[in-house]
Amino acid sequence: MGEDKSDVLQGTLDLMVLKTLESMGPQHGYGIARRIEQISEQALRLNQGTIYPALLRLRQRGWIKAEWGTSENGRRARYYSLTKTGKAQIEKETESWERVAATMARFLTT
Amino acid sequence: MSGVKTFWSRFSALFRRRGLDRDLDEELRSHLDSAAEENRRREMTVEEARAKALRDFGGVTQVRERVRMREGVLWVEQLRRDVEFGLRQLQRSPGFAVTAILTLAVGLGANTAVFSLINGLLLRPLPVPHGEELSVLRMTRTDMPDAMYSFSEPLFRELEERHDVFRDVAGFAGRDLQVRSSAGNVRVPGAIISGEYFDALETPPLLGRWLTSGDDPARGASEGSSVVIGEDFWRTWFHGAPDVVGKPITIANTPFTVVGVMPRRFFGADPTERPQIYVPLAAEPVIDAPYKMNGEYQSWWLRVMVRRKPGVSQEQADAWLTAATRSLMDEAGRANAKWAKEGTAAHLLFFAEEGSRGFTELRAMFRKPLVAVFSLCGAMLLLACLNLASLLMARAAARERELATRLALGASRGRLIRQLLVESMLTALLGTCAGLMAAPLVSHALVAMLLGRSSTLVLDTSFDARVFAFVAASVALSTLLVGLIPALRATSHTLSEQIKSGSHAHTAQTRKRLTPALLMGAEVAVALVLVFGAGLLATSLARLYRIGLGFEPQGVVNLSIDMGKQARDGQALMNWYRDYAEAASHLPGVRSMSLADMTPMGGSSWISTLRTPWSGGDREMYENRVSPEFLATMRIPMLAGRDFRWNDTMASGRKVILSQTAAEYLFPGRTAVGQTVVEEKKSYEVIGVVGDIRYATLQEGARAEAYMPITQDEDKKPSYTAVIGAAGDPGVAGVAARSLAMKMAPEIPAPEITTMNEDLDASIASERMMAFLAVFFAGCALLVTGIGLYGTLAYGTARRTSEIGIRIALGAQRARVLRLIFLENAWIVAVGSLVGLAVALAASRALGSLLYGTSVRDPWVLVGSVAVLALIASAASLLPAARAARIEPMAALREQ
Repeated sequence: MGEDKSDVLQGTLDLMVLKTLESMGPQHGYGIARRIEQISEQALRLNQGTIYPALLRLRQRGWIKAEWGTSENGRRARYYSLTKTGKAQIEKETESWERVAATMARFLTT
Repeated sequence: MSGVKTFWSRFSALFRRRGLDRDLDEELRSHLDSAAEENRRREMTVEEARAKALRDFGGVTQVRERVRMREGVLWVEQLRRDVEFGLRQLQRSPGFAVTAILTLAVGLGANTAVFSLINGLLLRPLPVPHGEELSVLRMTRTDMPDAMYSFSEPLFRELEERHDVFRDVAGFAGRDLQVRSSAGNVRVPGAIISGEYFDALETPPLLGRWLTSGDDPARGASEGSSVVIGEDFWRTWFHGAPDVVGKPITIANTPFTVVGVMPRRFFGADPTERPQIYVPLAAEPVIDAPYKMNGEYQSWWLRVMVRRKPGVSQEQADAWLTAATRSLMDEAGRANAKWAKEGTAAHLLFFAEEGSRGFTELRAMFRKPLVAVFSLCGAMLLLACLNLASLLMARAAARERELATRLALGASRGRLIRQLLVESMLTALLGTCAGLMAAPLVSHALVAMLLGRSSTLVLDTSFDARVFAFVAASVALSTLLVGLIPALRATSHTLSEQIKSGSHAHTAQTRKRLTPALLMGAEVAVALVLVFGAGLLATSLARLYRIGLGFEPQGVVNLSIDMGKQARDGQALMNWYRDYAEAASHLPGVRSMSLADMTPMGGSSWISTLRTPWSGGDREMYENRVSPEFLATMRIPMLAGRDFRWNDTMASGRKVILSQTAAEYLFPGRTAVGQTVVEEKKSYEVIGVVGDIRYATLQEGARAEAYMPITQDEDKKPSYTAVIGAAGDPGVAGVAARSLAMKMAPEIPAPEITTMNEDLDASIASERMMAFLAVFFAGCALLVTGIGLYGTLAYGTARRTSEIGIRIALGAQRARVLRLIFLENAWIVAVGSLVGLAVALAASRALGSLLYGTSVRDPWVLVGSVAVLALIASAASLLPAARAARIEPMAALREQ
């Protein structure tokens, strides 16, 4: 499958989205993007639009699902939430991310 | 169920791109609006808030493109994987794959072949501009059983004048034309057409001009007439010469001038004819010489097609024409009051019917048989699908653990269903490819069977958009039929259920076994319907063949000699015939040799009336003119009196030979030989009585026949058929007799050779086609059902190995096990047969009119069909049952 080249942090972004949904419950695209910005405290300069291909990718893997709803300010918005598979996946993704991070950390300290 | 929902939403993504785009656009707009609103709360101006929202977002267009691409790419990607996986699955069980593909190939191939026939004959519109404005004229009269589509020339000339609602009125009739080549006269298929024919069909000529009313004066001269030729004829005969317009051509020994060439795609108003030369109606007497139809009120031969004026609907035209019947008859009948009075007495009425598909007599002939055969094909396809569905289900049972595991690992149900559907679609597609390759061969064979080998008629069965749409629809339908139920069933179990039951099951899962049983039962029912239908059609055909014909067709060859366009006539021509018969009788391989005006089952007949003082008025009978030796050649038994002789000329008084039935009609309880019969004002001496024969069709009983000698024919230039009894190979005798005819009269076109058996087959062509196809389908149905019953039972018992092992270990007798397994199929077959019988008896009524001497509830066929099915089913069920009975308990238990 041709992965999008611009997604340097693809796995990271996916995990961020999943974690966001896990902690906040169903959320629309803008909300997810804002949350990621807030958590990363602007350290991560993220184009908010990048989130949409990621959302579709997760949806196609069956990890999240989408439903139309009304946002807090009365706007129609698409809400994303975790599926059963998605919840299970967070654990796996977290593990693999920690492994990568640990490896990187070892490289950086030596 | 959300899995199924997303599956369908993705499935339809390709077809509703715009909807998806709208969703995405709305989502992005909502995002930007939310962002802008938040920015506004941070004291920004509207413009600033908007600009910052866009900046934070990044490129909207890029995002939209990437999302869109993902949607499409993923779909294709998943499909590719499903196809690969499906192919692997098929490879893993090649036996199943081959069975599946072949059964579908037979079902889909036969359907496609028959549909292409139906399409060519019944559905395809004429390839002419604005065909929807065309109508075909018809008339009914109470003294004729069927509607007539043929008009006489004087009546047509009257119709041609009426342009109230018709823009153009065209008359046409197919004719074989005699065209002079350097090697003598040859037969070329052509058409006689009226002046407005080409106007009505609106197809522009390739070269030159088409014929117009100016070329077809109602009572005009025929010498030096113009003709239009077809593109193929132009290329072969004139070698595609660009200056063909204005060139002479000799037709029926008369010079004509070519004025135009029609393109190849044009074939006129009859889709089953391919005229190469179009001759104006005014020239009919030249073409038909020595006979003539023009001016004859009682010769019904011209088909009529009209183009309605713009804005005139089919219904309006029909209503107008029916209302105008009276005035048309009055006008046309001015010169023939007796004819008009007869028409009025018979309540003659004219109608206009839809004509965009042109007109051919074959439609009325073959519609019913084709629809019957098409229904059989549909049943065959249904059976193939049911069979595959039940086999797939049995196989899916073996894959239950795989599927349950995949479900538990997070595959959505929709995804699995799609994957299973892709597998069945692959099977259907491969089957279709195989079927499509065979379909043209099958349809050609069917056409050959329907039209006979020597026919110049054409039935264009080539594939067009309609056939492909039909094929696509059949594939889609069979994919769903084959795949959906097994896929839904197979994915409906959770892993826990699976692990609990699995192959260790020894509780009877009634619900689980019900669906396969229903499918197999339905299959048995359909199979029985097919076998019963085939049994009826085959019995009917066999009875047709066993009919006592009254003559022996074996080894008889017919040679139609066309003497119409050569110089000899009267006594000189009769002498030629006599010399020819004499010379031909000495040819090697010829047992006996004779001539006849008409041959039995040859497609033409002549009915006339004879009477005697005892006959109670005029009696209708078939009349024929025959030479000496005809009765012997046909092996029609001479019951009394003598055969004709060559010296039975007019001088010795008119002679007649009667068939037994005719003799009984005319001389009840008396001796016929030596007596006199009267036909209108002529009287004949009966010189012999012979056996009855089947004359016009096999189906009608023996009718009364009267034979007159050709030596007393008052026709100046009669054309006869040489009827030759061959001693050996009829083909050899036919060719020898043909060369002799060509040597003795080089100017006539080569006579056509047909054997009497071919004529017989051709006379029951549609019965033969129906019976052959039905028997073929029934054979396939039995085979497929056998495979299905065997397959499902074999899979089923394989899964119950341990259960059976335990039963045997606990002391169950092997015979009881055999019975147990066998009975499982037995009741499916029993119930299926009962349902099938009910359906077959209800459906067979539709066959009634197509059967000869066979009741639609013929008890022998009924019993036979059930017996054959039961036999096949028993054989198919006995194998797995026997295998189950041989299970070793220890081995079975160890498998766990």
